[in-house]
Amino acid sequence: MNLRIFFAIILILVAHSVSAQKATVKGQVKEVDGLTIPGVNVLEVGTTNGVSTNMDGNFEIEVENLETAKLKFSFIGYDSKEILVAGRTTINVDMALASIALEEIVVVGYGTSTKKEVTGATAKVDAEAIEKLNNARMDQALQGQVSGVNIQTNSGSPGGASSIRIRGLSTFGDNDPLILVDGVVYDSEGLNALNPNDIASINILKDATAGIYGVRAANGVILIETKKGEKNAAPRLELSGFTGLQRTARRLDLLNATEYAVLKNEMFGTANEEFPFRNTNLGEGTDWQDEVFEDAWMQSYNLSLSGGTKSSSYNAGLSYYTQDGIVGGEKANFTRYNARLNMMNEINKKLKLNSVLLYTNESRSTLPENGIGSVLYNTINAFPTDPVRNPITGNYSYLEEVSDIINPIAQMENIYNDNNVNKIVGKEELVYEINENFTLTGRIGYNFALVDAKAFSPLAWYGPGKAQNTAANENLDPTQVEIADSVFIDRGANVFESRSTFVDVTGETFLNYNKIFNEDHSVKGTFGLSVFKRRGESVNGTAFNIPGNSIDFADISASLADGGFLNNTGSFQFEERLLSSFLRGEYGYKSKYLVSFIVRRDGSSRFGPNNRYGIFPTVSGAWVFSEEDFFKFPKITFAKLRMSYGVSGNDQIPNFAYRAQLDGEGVYVFNDVITQGIAVGRASNPDLRWESTRQFNLGLDVTVGDPLTFTLNYFIKNTRDLLFQPDVSAILGTAGPGGQSPVINAGDISNRGIEFEVGYTTDPEKDFSYAINFNTTYLKNEVKKTPEGVEFLPGASFGVGGNVATRFEEGFPIGYFIGFETDGVWQSQEEIDNSPLKQQGAKPGDLKFVDQNGDGEINFNDDSDQIELGSPIPTFTFGFNFNVNYKRYDMSANMFSAIGQEIIRNFERQQPYANQLDYVIDRWVGNGSTNENPRLTTESNRNTEFSDYYVEKGDFLRIRNVQFGYTLPNEWLEKAKVKSCRVYISVNNLATLTGYRGYDPEIGSAGGPLAAGVDYGFYPQARTIMGGFNLKF
Amino acid sequence: MKIKQKAFLFFILTSISAISLWSCKDYLELEPEFVQDADNYFTSPEHYDLALTGAYDLLQGSFLHLWIGEIASDNSIAGGESVVDTKGLHDIDDMIHGGVNDELRSVFRWNYSGITRCNFILENRNKIDFTGKDEIIAQATFLRAYYYFQLFKFFGDVPLILDERLGSDGVSDSKRTNKNEVYDAIVSDLNSAIPNLNWMASEKGRITKGAALALLGKVYLYRNQFAEAATTLDNVINNGGYSLLTNYNALFAVGNEGHRETVFDIQYTGIEGGSYDCLICLEGNAAPGFHGIRQYSGPIYGDGNSYNLPTKDLYDAFGANDQIRRDASILDIEAFKQSQSATVRYAVGGGGHTGYYNNKYIKRQGEIGAPDDDLTSPVNYLVIRYADVLLMAAEAHNRNGNDGTALNYVNQVRNRVNLPNLTSSGSALTEDIWNERRLELAGEGHRFFDLVRTNKAANEITGFTPGKNDLFPIPQIEIDLAGGNWGQNPGY
Repeated sequence: MNLRIFFAIILILVAHSVSAQKATVKGQVKEVDGLTIPGVNVLEVGTTNGVSTNMDGNFEIEVENLETAKLKFSFIGYDSKEILVAGRTTINVDMALASIALEEIVVVGYGTSTKKEVTGATAKVDAEAIEKLNNARMDQALQGQVSGVNIQTNSGSPGGASSIRIRGLSTFGDNDPLILVDGVVYDSEGLNALNPNDIASINILKDATAGIYGVRAANGVILIETKKGEKNAAPRLELSGFTGLQRTARRLDLLNATEYAVLKNEMFGTANEEFPFRNTNLGEGTDWQDEVFEDAWMQSYNLSLSGGTKSSSYNAGLSYYTQDGIVGGEKANFTRYNARLNMMNEINKKLKLNSVLLYTNESRSTLPENGIGSVLYNTINAFPTDPVRNPITGNYSYLEEVSDIINPIAQMENIYNDNNVNKIVGKEELVYEINENFTLTGRIGYNFALVDAKAFSPLAWYGPGKAQNTAANENLDPTQVEIADSVFIDRGANVFESRSTFVDVTGETFLNYNKIFNEDHSVKGTFGLSVFKRRGESVNGTAFNIPGNSIDFADISASLADGGFLNNTGSFQFEERLLSSFLRGEYGYKSKYLVSFIVRRDGSSRFGPNNRYGIFPTVSGAWVFSEEDFFKFPKITFAKLRMSYGVSGNDQIPNFAYRAQLDGEGVYVFNDVITQGIAVGRASNPDLRWESTRQFNLGLDVTVGDPLTFTLNYFIKNTRDLLFQPDVSAILGTAGPGGQSPVINAGDISNRGIEFEVGYTTDPEKDFSYAINFNTTYLKNEVKKTPEGVEFLPGASFGVGGNVATRFEEGFPIGYFIGFETDGVWQSQEEIDNSPLKQQGAKPGDLKFVDQNGDGEINFNDDSDQIELGSPIPTFTFGFNFNVNYKRYDMSANMFSAIGQEIIRNFERQQPYANQLDYVIDRWVGNGSTNENPRLTTESNRNTEFSDYYVEKGDFLRIRNVQFGYTLPNEWLEKAKVKSCRVYISVNNLATLTGYRGYDPEIGSAGGPLAAGVDYGFYPQARTIMGGFNLKF
Repeated sequence: MKIKQKAFLFFILTSISAISLWSCKDYLELEPEFVQDADNYFTSPEHYDLALTGAYDLLQGSFLHLWIGEIASDNSIAGGESVVDTKGLHDIDDMIHGGVNDELRSVFRWNYSGITRCNFILENRNKIDFTGKDEIIAQATFLRAYYYFQLFKFFGDVPLILDERLGSDGVSDSKRTNKNEVYDAIVSDLNSAIPNLNWMASEKGRITKGAALALLGKVYLYRNQFAEAATTLDNVINNGGYSLLTNYNALFAVGNEGHRETVFDIQYTGIEGGSYDCLICLEGNAAPGFHGIRQYSGPIYGDGNSYNLPTKDLYDAFGANDQIRRDASILDIEAFKQSQSATVRYAVGGGGHTGYYNNKYIKRQGEIGAPDDDLTSPVNYLVIRYADVLLMAAEAHNRNGNDGTALNYVNQVRNRVNLPNLTSSGSALTEDIWNERRLELAGEGHRFFDLVRTNKAANEITGFTPGKNDLFPIPQIEIDLAGGNWGQNPGY
């Protein structure tokens, strides 16, 4: 508060009070620990009569009536106090530091609580922390902000998704939490559409108290509130924007042309084959990374207008975001337009209408990424000896020696893959205050998305024998297809288009009760009903022979396919419904003892009549022991012990999995024509039920002084009846085309962990202020049971057609790595001959494997010599956030670190001609040369068996964001009618400390839990330098 | 007040609708759209027809029988990009295969999937009656016999499931049925199918009486029932209208498919591509592309993955006067390279190289399988051709003591490729016929099973252990998935 105005008010008040002939009350105001407090506002309740304390904390006030007068003491940063004078003329007052943070509203689902009273493990992230990072997606900004929530970026490409994992992986299938935006279900896959700038706050329900959302709550719940206006506020216009330049944060150390030629000659030479290079003096050659990576721009603007009248408020916004990719430039572009209109209208004193309307148009172009055949995979493996273009023909070079590695520049040129989404999310909500105890809420939330996709595949020729060729030859002639005896037609360029709509509607009505009995007994109750329906429909088509082989005509309507023979169409539709009722009761005694229970009953159309309804109970309680009389630590202003236990569910299975349908593939060729038949698709399981997660949480919240807060949680999260589609016995006949194992309930997973957060905040009103937040999570994930008869479920393979490297297996984390342990390199033939260990086919220079089962030989045909080589799940994650303000300057930093996980280096094509990382220069060349890297040879060998040689530590520490801001002095702005203006520069992904050799140690799990930690040439997160401004009018 | 009333109305409406929906169980009773349930099917003749097409689909997995039949034998090596590329085949090649083998598991699973689709029709055979039903049932019965015959050849005792679809609970009660019983079921299925099948197929690709009789003859041969085999195969020879194609070279060309030597072939098309992730989903033949020459550029042939490479042993087995069959069966890549005026380039795979390629099923220009030529091909797999019928019949008659007929049959096969008549008799003739089978049918997937059937495998295949390698191991995971009650084959 501006001090001058403050004193002016005080003077007026004092002047006013002097005119009356009343009794005087004197006293001194002190802090609990003894220091006097100057400037405390002392007000006679029910009047405008007030004074403030002087420098020594003393005050003197005249009151109307010495017996009945009530004084209110208030000061920023302290809890206000009201004291009945009761005839005293001297009153000394102790004021406690206010627990502003404790009164903070926490959204808990169908109601709110305060940080002080909440009994569950929740976390809250404010808008500012999210906006600062200028990320395209809200989840990216969430990383490192709160404990227990791990965000894995699945792609660094613009608009690339992340996976949000709350308290580990608790299911084999979909681990995404339930996300609600203003109470409306928001698909985590669709998070691209949500503008982080529209978010006011994010509340995360981590423990069993999320059970108010029942069958969908097992993975945790994220409640997002968008920005709302305030009543009685003048219109406020804000404009912000930034522009940034992105560049790859890392390049791999690959062999240059000379090194490549020398090493390849050695490779072939050791196998007594002809040297591929007569001349090895080839200079640097082509640096494919130079050719592929580019600097890319991004920019964004946000305009918002908010305000309110006596009975209404509004918050409207427009925004634009666009980002090119560091690989592919505009072929990896992501662009989004958002419009938002949130309104609140008090129809009368008791009735309020809340409206939310969010519109998004987003478009995203993508290149193949993180897989065999992705642009970066080709970049890493392309030969440095080949130029980008053949100097004679001018065509892109062919990289002829390897069939599946193609020229990445040519590849990017031929890829056109665009998605466009139009999405409307809205809510109409009526809140009726029946009386001071009862509130009735009725609301309809809806979500409509129109998703269009178009992929154009022109005729392309990458070189002889390349699997990706779509043309018959380098002249780009189309291939021929024989459609009947000796009848051939052209198979030209094709375009795939699809249009899908997704609509969901949630109708909810609930009654909240809130009453305090006899001052000490607080009772709250919530009862409600919820109806949910989601429907999706899609049609798609592929059309061939696009004229001119050109994107300009890439539309189904332009197809010139003879007789339409090759063209094809498809469609799908689905519908699912939920019917739920929920009840929550809360009781608090003196805000000291708090208990709460939740019951939700859910019915889901995903399950068959045998198991359609489920009941999910939760109990929780808290004890604010700092309020106890025996608690004698004045420094500790707040201390709360929390406990919760409950059951929540997961219904993430396909619709109709409980019954067998004829949706398999039964296709054969009669009369040389593809003939459609029918076959059973997924086998049925009428007894299918949701998987259930039992979660226990023990938590402690402590505040020391006011600025220092601690939160500690210990949790055990056990998921039972895991929804699985494991292999089933062949005799069930589900291994045919389009056939699938039945979905069954089998297997258990356990997650245990400890979360710890500490925050320190100084008084933000001071010239120099700062805030620090540190959080860490320890997590242990373990598969407790696999389905009967299933020893393990195989996951991702290593290399091309190689061993299965990851598994879901009892006693290990989900997706752990299994393979051979190496023990250096065989140095000589004598060593091999004299070794008690028999390793079939071993030659000097080959990796020496460890005999795990002690039978004296390495068994390559079973897993008896294979052991756990790592896990993709970090043991510890750390987040560190730091803000400093000094006068007009501000600075902030955000760091994230994950420790204890491993990565499989799977971007190296294990093929004689593929380029390699330069660590192979230190290969074995003779007895004693090295014990690290095996020999290079094209001879048959076992060095490419999956072993710890290909597993690296994935530990990293990343400085995610550093920002410097400056708020312009008001004098400068007044002329321009600007209220405030802040400018900043900021760097995202400034530095990453890691020992990992790939592009990015943060490689996510795009292919699901069993493909996590497998790096196929991950699209790395860019380093971005940004400059931006925030203007308030 | 008015607003208040409207608001109340809103609450009342939402509440009532919510409560009524909540109490009304029908809200969650959704029916799948545009797709039928597996139960309550077979209400029209079309349903039988569609289900039958589904049952045929699994025939297309037979390229694995071809691979393993050759690679396990002395005819070829596994090849491929590396020794871990399709590792199961390399293990089989080296005769070190065990219970963990993806390819053997696919054989096991795909054939059971085929059987399940046949049983789906056969258990519902009495739902309705219509003209033509008998032939549909006969085709389904034939297919079931074919699938069981593959399992019988590969694994011996296998669970025999007839005319029912198992539920998950049926698995734990299952046991391996004695192979004699499986054999009897195959014979019985074929015998019941034959009367209702026609000599002429209504459509190219449909099972004929000839196919069923030829398969039955083959089945008899596997159990040394030579008299029955001779009668059955004679029936094919005398009444089937088949004859040998004059030009041996033209047997496996797409353009000649359905020629008069075709008794039973599996249909493929090159029109629809696919993915390496699901080879059983392909509508094209995976064998030719996989057999193709690695990184090939040049005339006549197309690019491929260098699988299933013939051995020098096989190449040399063809006599000096047997060049027609040798060159039609085996491509000598270096010789071919020398003979061409155009540049021929190719690469050698890390999985092994012999210098030879399977020239019967190989990727050729003009036999494309768009979009990825390595993966699919329209070339049909000739499971039984008339030359095979003649050689089987010759063997049956010879073992039955009728060397005259035997010589007649085997010499028809030899004369077609300008080879002189055999004149041997008795067991020498038996050996000659077996040798003739190797050369005539080289690269077609018969060799390993012929060697095992004739007790010659131990002599010809390095690493072959009699009493063990006669059968392949039951995939260990299948034993586990069935609850661990099945025993493993001896020696594994």
